[in-house]
Amino acid sequence: MEKGYVENGFIVDVSHAKKTSQVICELSAILDLPDAQGKDVFLKLGALEMNRTQLLSVKAMVESMGSNVEKVSSSSKLTLQSASELGIDTAEIENVVPTIAFDNVKPEVNKELEVALDKIFGDDVSDISNLHKDINEPKEVIEPEEKIVQANEDFSQEAAHDEINKVIEEANNIDAEIDINSIESEIKEDDSVEEISEEIKQHLKETEQLPTLYIQRTLRSGQSLKSEGNIVIIGDVNPGSEIIATGDITVWGILGGIAHAGCDGNTYARVRALKMNPIQLRIADILARRPDTANIPYVQKTDTFVPEEAVMRNKKIVIHKLYEV
Amino acid sequence: MSGRVIVITSGKGGVGKTTTNANIGTALAKAGKKVVMIDTDLGLRNLDLLLGLENRIVYTIVDVVEKRCKLKQALVKDKKNPNLCLLAAAQTRDKTAVTEEQLKDICERLQKDFDFILVDCPAGIEQGFQNAVAGASEAIVVTTPEMSAIRDADRIIGLLEAKEEIKSYHLLLNRVRPKLIKSNDMMSVDEVVDILSAELIGIIPEDTGIITSTNKGEPIVNDEKSLAGQAYMNVAKRIMGEEVPFLNLEEDNSFMGKVKSFFSHLVGKEKK
Repeated sequence: MEKGYVENGFIVDVSHAKKTSQVICELSAILDLPDAQGKDVFLKLGALEMNRTQLLSVKAMVESMGSNVEKVSSSSKLTLQSASELGIDTAEIENVVPTIAFDNVKPEVNKELEVALDKIFGDDVSDISNLHKDINEPKEVIEPEEKIVQANEDFSQEAAHDEINKVIEEANNIDAEIDINSIESEIKEDDSVEEISEEIKQHLKETEQLPTLYIQRTLRSGQSLKSEGNIVIIGDVNPGSEIIATGDITVWGILGGIAHAGCDGNTYARVRALKMNPIQLRIADILARRPDTANIPYVQKTDTFVPEEAVMRNKKIVIHKLYEV
Repeated sequence: MSGRVIVITSGKGGVGKTTTNANIGTALAKAGKKVVMIDTDLGLRNLDLLLGLENRIVYTIVDVVEKRCKLKQALVKDKKNPNLCLLAAAQTRDKTAVTEEQLKDICERLQKDFDFILVDCPAGIEQGFQNAVAGASEAIVVTTPEMSAIRDADRIIGLLEAKEEIKSYHLLLNRVRPKLIKSNDMMSVDEVVDILSAELIGIIPEDTGIITSTNKGEPIVNDEKSLAGQAYMNVAKRIMGEEVPFLNLEEDNSFMGKVKSFFSHLVGKEKK
């Protein structure tokens, strides 16, 4: 029983919690599950400092839900001390490896409840939901080469030709190189910045509400996936394959093929991947291709993944990192 | 202007049809001819990779056939040579997406604007082969000095002879290894020509540079030092009607080779 081993127990990892209120919120969501009833709970806390009263209220909450706090681990001395005062087994951990408590359960954090609990416990750690908001730095631009022309089934030759010429002209007018930082600053200086973001938010919400196709396999060369809505792929998308969606495309793996998001004209559609190496990216009617210098037929598989997202800005496809590594 | 439609075929897979196509096409374009290459290997396209044009393909031959775009839109221009164009195959479809008549029609339309139309044929003798051959009037049969490849080439030549549209065909012997021929481990060029009784248009030596050029997406004819590149250049010249002697692959041109041959002269013909 000394190595943090609990019989008939539940290991609940809340080591990422920065506030007592957060611990309570998440614990209550987890313990609410029917199979958590009557189990002993091994509570993994991170660096969070809890005094005796705070820990007591956590314990009381767990007990009120029909479970029992069997053991507490923490890297904070204060928390461990208060645990031993309350007669709970303790285990000291040195480096905290954050893991998700339950893969299939995402505890819904009630904002109001959290604020109310904050008032009670008086923690003043800043809200973590804002943590990842300011790191969406644009990284690179793939120069759009030409637009895709939507030709009708029975198009007249002349009209189509005119249309193509127009598109080619337009494509030529777009500057080849574009400084994203300057655009960023321009947007910030713009007075109507609130309106733009509101509009984008609205569109993102619309995309969010589309049906989503969920696929859990590797897409290989020659395979094509089309969906009216969003597509989520758990696996790699190999070169030579294509994904076409009216909404967003998310690849939990390496994107090496062709991805066409917002194929019915949704310019707010996005393409996300753990590793971006697409032959072509298309959003609505804008096309970007891989630079010739990086013309490697297959991506080298690595352990380091940098999740990236492609969005359209000013009629150009821009890739930015989702998280800083 | 009426361009020549040449199909490059082999029967057997992996003998170098696509590599030959990419290199002859590039060589012809370098000589100032207007060239278009058609990849008819639907579902297993490779020609775009060899030319390094994979990232530029928007429309494919299937889009042209199904009238989603105009023929000119689907032609992908080469990175370096504006005389060279590629009509790519669709990767997500199979051979049934295009019919013989449609391919014939495409070839006829391209003949007006191009000097050479090179059709890259898929392996096998099924629908894909029939499609590729449909619009062509000349053929280049690629083979290697191996029994299996020669047997398949023989079958292909038989099929080509039965086609009225094919006016002439030539043989291209690929991956020849002079050392192995010398040591009697590989069939010699003459033997192959004897078996197939077809006119030879080129002998391409085995070259490791082909592997790197394929991976880079850069045809080997762009490398003037490479022996295989020179051989492909000569094939292009012969296609254009020039008389070019075949490269002497037997001769070892390096200094060590000359020293060796000098000594072997002194020792006499003991090896043979």
